[in-house]
Amino acid sequence: MIKDNQGIQYDYIVGEEKKLLELIKGPDIMPLLKSAVNAGAASAALVNAEGEILHQYGEADRAAGLIVSRPVYLEGEVAGQIVISGHKDRELLLNAVGELMFNALKIILQCNFKTILATETHKTVVYQSYEELLETNEKLKLSERKYRELAGSLEKQVQERTEDLKRAHAKLLHQEKLASVGQLAAGVAHEINNPLGFILSNINTLNQYFYKLKEMVFFYRTAMEKKDASGKYLEKSKQQWERLKLDFVFEDTDDLIRESLEGAGRVKKIVSDLKGFSHIDEAHKSDADINTEIDRTLSVLTHEIPQGVQIVKNYGELPPFSCNAAHICQAFYNILLNALQAGGAGLVIDIATQNANNMIKIKFSDNGPGIPDSIRDRIFEPFFTTKEVGTGTGMGLNVTYEIISSYQGTIEVESEVGKGTAFSILLPLPQKVKNV
Amino acid sequence: MIEYDEFENRMVLKLVYYGPALSGKTTNLLSLHDILDQEGRGDLTVLDTKDDRTIFFDLLPFFLTAPSGLKIKLKVFTVPGQVKHDATRKAVLQRADGVAFIADSQLSEETNNSESFGNLENNLEFVGLDIESIPLVIQFNKRDLKDTVSEENIVRTWGPTGIPVVLSSAIMGQGVVETFSRLVELTYDRIDTKHLLEKNHGLDKNMFIQKITGRNLNEAVFKDKRNMTAGY
Ligand SMILES: Nc1nc2c(ncn2[C@@H]2O[C@H](COP(=O)(O)OP(=O)(O)O)[C@@H](O)[C@H]2O)c(=O)[nH]1
Ligand SMILES: [Mg+2]
Repeated sequence: MIKDNQGIQYDYIVGEEKKLLELIKGPDIMPLLKSAVNAGAASAALVNAEGEILHQYGEADRAAGLIVSRPVYLEGEVAGQIVISGHKDRELLLNAVGELMFNALKIILQCNFKTILATETHKTVVYQSYEELLETNEKLKLSERKYRELAGSLEKQVQERTEDLKRAHAKLLHQEKLASVGQLAAGVAHEINNPLGFILSNINTLNQYFYKLKEMVFFYRTAMEKKDASGKYLEKSKQQWERLKLDFVFEDTDDLIRESLEGAGRVKKIVSDLKGFSHIDEAHKSDADINTEIDRTLSVLTHEIPQGVQIVKNYGELPPFSCNAAHICQAFYNILLNALQAGGAGLVIDIATQNANNMIKIKFSDNGPGIPDSIRDRIFEPFFTTKEVGTGTGMGLNVTYEIISSYQGTIEVESEVGKGTAFSILLPLPQKVKNV
Repeated sequence: MIEYDEFENRMVLKLVYYGPALSGKTTNLLSLHDILDQEGRGDLTVLDTKDDRTIFFDLLPFFLTAPSGLKIKLKVFTVPGQVKHDATRKAVLQRADGVAFIADSQLSEETNNSESFGNLENNLEFVGLDIESIPLVIQFNKRDLKDTVSEENIVRTWGPTGIPVVLSSAIMGQGVVETFSRLVELTYDRIDTKHLLEKNHGLDKNMFIQKITGRNLNEAVFKDKRNMTAGY
């Protein structure tokens, strides 16, 4: 306590230092910390300069492994930190939340600082009129309300910002894809290789069939030229028709042409899909039966399935799923192709589907060589491959991942080296509208 | 000095911008806040609750750490100029380490200036500070206006006192850093004598000025001398 010349006592010195804890109370900071967690952080805390936690909300997620912090300035001095923890995949979001909290806290601090400075000075100043005090209080209340509103709207701001970030992220993904056209070309080549393979082989077969037809046509021509009066040639032509199995040829030619066209169509689609992920959103959706789509995928893969490989189907009954069937097939195709290419003799692929909890569960399990721990986290990354590009055995699992994600689905991999790999896909069904 | 806590290794200093109402004290701090942007410069708190006039005061804080680890906070306050707020002025002036007196150069304000200066003398005595030894700088503000007291007159009046005088236009940002730096410089000398900032804390005058203004001594004090400083 200070006494001046005239004996007036001051128990407060204007400018006395204030601790962070005195300036920020629970009701000021908790809504902020809460909104940070609601926005997707695992935890948010305010710590002082000594690193002691003053206020905290949520549980720090150690496994998630990302911590974002922002300084808390008090009169130019770093008086503490805002510490936000969360999943490492959410770096963009956590940084945005940190920035928002930094700004909000700055305003709250400034406001409380002002209030305390004013009121404590008031207490000291003896001659201050009561009216003025009331008026000051009114003004301070006003500004206080301002930041309370701010704290309240923070959650909404965070949400809006999150949407912005999502859009920005999608755009970024798009730009990244454009930027790495070279890499993309390698990926496209890989995706094209397989369907193109059977197109070529079918066309070769067609070529042979066509040769046979040609032979027959020449025969008829000769027959016509000789003007068969005896009917001898007619008989001969029947024999010839059978020898060349022309009935089968005509039938199979139809199939071959249809398959080739389908394959060519897929090539076109893959290329356009890889050109821009945005196409997925625009693609036409229709009700599909996932089991049928898996079968369709398997039939396309027939040429890739070596002798002795066993495909076990454990299909459950599934409700129709609204999707772009071509994309879903592409997603399955990449998983199955990897299993087939990695697996050796005695490969068993088990495909199980199930309708549970308003979700379609699809599990592809194999007894192949498995995926080493070191790369398991990376298999869904774009352009990730275990083999040289050009051998056509890149994984293409990023495409699967993106497709499943576009239906709000999830895909997880379990694998043990030497034992096998299992991909589990969950596709959420739309919520049923309840009848009132 | 607001506080010197040896255990926490922390020193809190106070500078006060004094002067008649509307002479430009708040404008000085606003300009300083705009011009100085180095690390450690805190936010400006303006406590005004009525009209255009300062009812309470303003605060612009600065923070720095000496090589020894000594943390120094320098808080710059303005006081309300209105006569009726004398109690607030006393409260703010308490334990000040230095004072800048902001005078209004307009001829019409001469009486107000001298009344306010008289008030400063009284109040310094009231809170137990010695006008003869406290670091003091006088600023003649609003030099951009017409009908202002002449430079000649200023020199004649203040020259003999040895108190540094700075001519300024706070609204244009002229003479603002100079006034502040001069005051910081004088304040440093005073604190250094008592607390051996250079010897015990490795903090010499130039470093002190540098950390608080982001400029070295010459730059901060003499940059606009030619135009704005009276020939004292
Ligand atoms: N022309 C001019 N006006 C100024 C100058 N400095 C301050 N003012 C004006 O003077 C008025 C009072 O200034 P303010 O800083 O609030 O005075 P305070 O009461 O001492 O804090 C305001 O309208 C300022 O814009 C200056 O250098 N030149
Ligand atoms: Mg003012």
